[in-house]
Amino acid sequence: MVGFLLALPPMVVLFFLILLPAFEAVKFSLGLVPEDNVAYASGLNVIRSNGPTLEVFEKLFASPFFQQNVRLTFFVSIVSVLILLVVAYVLALYARFGKGRLPSIIRTLYLVPMFIPTIIASYALIVFFGDNGLLEALLSRFGVPYQTIIRQDWGIIMGQVWASIPFAVLMLSSGLDAISDDHIEAAKDCGASFATILWRILIPLNIVPALIVATFTFIGVFGSFTVPYMLGPTVPQMLGVSMQVNFTAFRQPQTAVAIAVFSFAVCAVAGYIYVVATTRQNRSQQ
Amino acid sequence: MKRYLILGGLGLLLGAGAQNAPVTLNFYSSGDVNVRDLWEKSLIPMFERQNPNIKINLVFSASSAAGATVDRMAAAVKANRPSGVDLLEGPVLDAADAGLLEKLDVRKVPRLFLVETNALERLKYFGLPYRGSSVVLAYDSNKVKNPPRTLEALIAWIEANPGQFTYNAPDAGGSGRAFVTRVLRIGINPQDSTLFETGYDPAKQNQWDRGLEILKRIGPKLYQGGQYSRNNAETLQFLARGAITMGPVWSDQALSNLKQGLLPQHIKLIQLTPPFYGGSAYVGVSKDSSNKAAGYTFLNWLMGSEAQSVVTEQMNGYPGIKLINMPADVRQKFGSIAKSYSFEFSSKFGSDMVRLWYEKVAGTPQPQR
Repeated sequence: MVGFLLALPPMVVLFFLILLPAFEAVKFSLGLVPEDNVAYASGLNVIRSNGPTLEVFEKLFASPFFQQNVRLTFFVSIVSVLILLVVAYVLALYARFGKGRLPSIIRTLYLVPMFIPTIIASYALIVFFGDNGLLEALLSRFGVPYQTIIRQDWGIIMGQVWASIPFAVLMLSSGLDAISDDHIEAAKDCGASFATILWRILIPLNIVPALIVATFTFIGVFGSFTVPYMLGPTVPQMLGVSMQVNFTAFRQPQTAVAIAVFSFAVCAVAGYIYVVATTRQNRSQQ
Repeated sequence: MKRYLILGGLGLLLGAGAQNAPVTLNFYSSGDVNVRDLWEKSLIPMFERQNPNIKINLVFSASSAAGATVDRMAAAVKANRPSGVDLLEGPVLDAADAGLLEKLDVRKVPRLFLVETNALERLKYFGLPYRGSSVVLAYDSNKVKNPPRTLEALIAWIEANPGQFTYNAPDAGGSGRAFVTRVLRIGINPQDSTLFETGYDPAKQNQWDRGLEILKRIGPKLYQGGQYSRNNAETLQFLARGAITMGPVWSDQALSNLKQGLLPQHIKLIQLTPPFYGGSAYVGVSKDSSNKAAGYTFLNWLMGSEAQSVVTEQMNGYPGIKLINMPADVRQKFGSIAKSYSFEFSSKFGSDMVRLWYEKVAGTPQPQR
């Protein structure tokens, strides 16, 4: 009973600040407009209906502009996750198995992005990699032509990977630390190369942290705003930016909310994978 | 100039004669910090020095909170109580529409006859436009000797000089928005022009099709094969470092940048015919003010050459009075750009314009890299 009472305040907050608004948003996107909510009811191109309708979503998915935005969002999210996994794995392995001063320096350096707000980091990336940036100025000294990726899809990916590195490496290295040296020594004694150890022992034993990194990063990147807003092209836009533009500049709150509902559905799938992965991990530890 | 001085002196006498006991005017204003500085540090101290009988109490709010002042005035009128607002800057049109402001005429504010008529008519004579700015075309005079002076000539120039022009997305800043608005006007019937500025009717939006098509066509001819600038400031930065040769800019921003050396001197500004849009900042007198005479004195003083010089110097804004009444150096400063300007679309038409621009102009694949 005491436990329930202690858990009650966060449950109440969760209910009123998250579940209830989310439910309202779903209703609004299905054409049930709350007429007493001025911010919702006064929007342009609002679809009103007496019963739930999928008209808002049909209109949304028929729009080539939205299709492009969805393609970009999936492309950036998936590619960011893949690149991040490779980069973070390399860093985590180096931190785990490297000897001497350099690995300990690396261990500090990969945490740096955690302490820099993404908006500042994005600005720094623009100043360094952008048009007429430091890198271009440097390269032009040697007559090397330079074409920036800032304001393009790859610019967003660069920003996302940079911002996600600390969490990914921390997660992966804690998994790698949990793998006992005995396994690895035993494999070495049998003459296994490092590649074999990595492929047959480290990656399989570390699969759950890797899945957690993948799902969390996917969800984070999919719904991100700052990095695509700063580093992405004017068009197409990632869904986070598109929601904001729909809400303010186009004055279409219903469309913005429908995009949010769609994003939520996609992220819920990723969340499901995460839940399955962690319950499996808990079970295997029991 | 002489004629103006005599009239100015006359106005000052008229105003001063009406005042005996010292009064305090509550002036509700809103805007960015530069507007606040203009009032607090320059105009109000100047006015109080010259009019010891009138004190101005400035109540300043951020732009977004300005609507609350009008709500408050309306509520006070409804409850039959004084609102405590004597002068209002900001949502003057809203307040006028709600019947909260006093209509101005030459008997109340003698210097009203110095003001551009169309700026006064825009607010049905309920507000005094004391400063303005508009979007103009900036160009690099080292590279272009004869800049385009009409929209048609500008579009032809953009197509003939790929990569040398760009503008910002219409939701990201007024300069790009003014360019898009000007191009969309190509297809608008003259008799519907006012509707687009003040009303809303989605059925009329097919009149934009011609303009949208033109914008789409020139897309690949923009900076780097189709890159839009991020905002007003970036267009200026592109111009400053020679990345583009021409672009739409805000007159006051560009003039400030020229003054500070952020824009090189060979960047020149001109206005097209018909012009890009612009706007004025208005001050109105509250209907329930008990010191209207003092309020009119203040407005009249505001249109004097001294106050107007502060506006042009400090804000790099256009003077509220007709340019011909300003000193020669001010006339020269604004000569080629401070013609009359056109008006923006209404806010709902504006929202749809932005959406259609994304969907039909930028929302189609652009050449990447």
